[in-house]
Amino acid sequence: MPVIKVNNRGVHIQELNKGSAETVLLVHGMFSNLSVYYFNIAPVLAKEFHVLMYDLKSHGMSEKVVKGYDLESMTGDLLALMDELGLDRVHLAGYSFGGLIALKMASRFPDRVKKLAVIEAPDPNDDKTRDIIDDYSREFLEHYVENFTDTTKVKMGKRQMERNHRMYEYLFYETSIKKDMLLEREFFGSEEIDGIGQETLLLYGAGSNCLGAGRLLKQKIKGAQLLEVPGDHNIPIQEPVLIGNLLDNFFKHG
Amino acid sequence: MDTVVVLKQFITEVIGEEFVEEMDIDMNSSFTRDLEMDSIEIVSFSEKIKAHYGDQIDFTGWLSNMDLDQLINLNLGMIVEYIDNARN
Repeated sequence: MPVIKVNNRGVHIQELNKGSAETVLLVHGMFSNLSVYYFNIAPVLAKEFHVLMYDLKSHGMSEKVVKGYDLESMTGDLLALMDELGLDRVHLAGYSFGGLIALKMASRFPDRVKKLAVIEAPDPNDDKTRDIIDDYSREFLEHYVENFTDTTKVKMGKRQMERNHRMYEYLFYETSIKKDMLLEREFFGSEEIDGIGQETLLLYGAGSNCLGAGRLLKQKIKGAQLLEVPGDHNIPIQEPVLIGNLLDNFFKHG
Repeated sequence: MDTVVVLKQFITEVIGEEFVEEMDIDMNSSFTRDLEMDSIEIVSFSEKIKAHYGDQIDFTGWLSNMDLDQLINLNLGMIVEYIDNARN
């Protein structure tokens, strides 16, 4: 289980098809981990590409960190990871919060990102996104697990629930994540988004409450292609092979 | 060493001895439902299998052919059967 040191912090990474000429780097979402890609999406991409997945700070098996959840810090972490692994340029894909990191990365370090794929990145100015952070409670988590995860068919057991609850509590009450996210409210309205020059693919669930964010990004990023996939915000779990194939085709052919 | 013994050792390493002691792990034990492994623990478990058996098996390829239902219902017996068949 490779946990490498990046800026003196433990970062859990997984790689497939190491040694292939081109790399696809996959960024997961908030409260998730690299497993969202590991089982189906990464193996599809690994037929052609070197695939790198990593756990964001305090997520999955990466080290817990109290500060630095704003997009500037998160992209700084990603750049340091690429430097540590000697990766000059990559195709970049991010899901949900990871999609925001991917957008910021493409804008901030355009020479390091070849093509950009954004899956279900929410608009940080959307109340629904912020409410998830504001309304958190154990009752909320139980409600979430009972109802929201229905669409992914995944039910958590008691030990899993406790683990997840500990992660939520840590992130909400002991880190700056809440404060840092609120500072990103204007991100979609910023010139940074307008200036993204990479070939960009936007993948959103046809029934997702984030679809409006996808449409907004399509308007703002020149030449961006928006594809609606059957499902909701959980499309990487609901349609992993389809997502893998769409990414594979985009990174190969555009 | 018997495949099932190797895999039980990996399960213990991933979820911890204190949880394993409370469980009656058998060939029908499902990773998500019975062992309550979450996805990142199944990643750890998979990596241990890949590191142990190396090129003898294509564990990533085998898993990648499964849909979510199959992954959720994956049990110890299915992995033992896959590994033993792949090595013979």
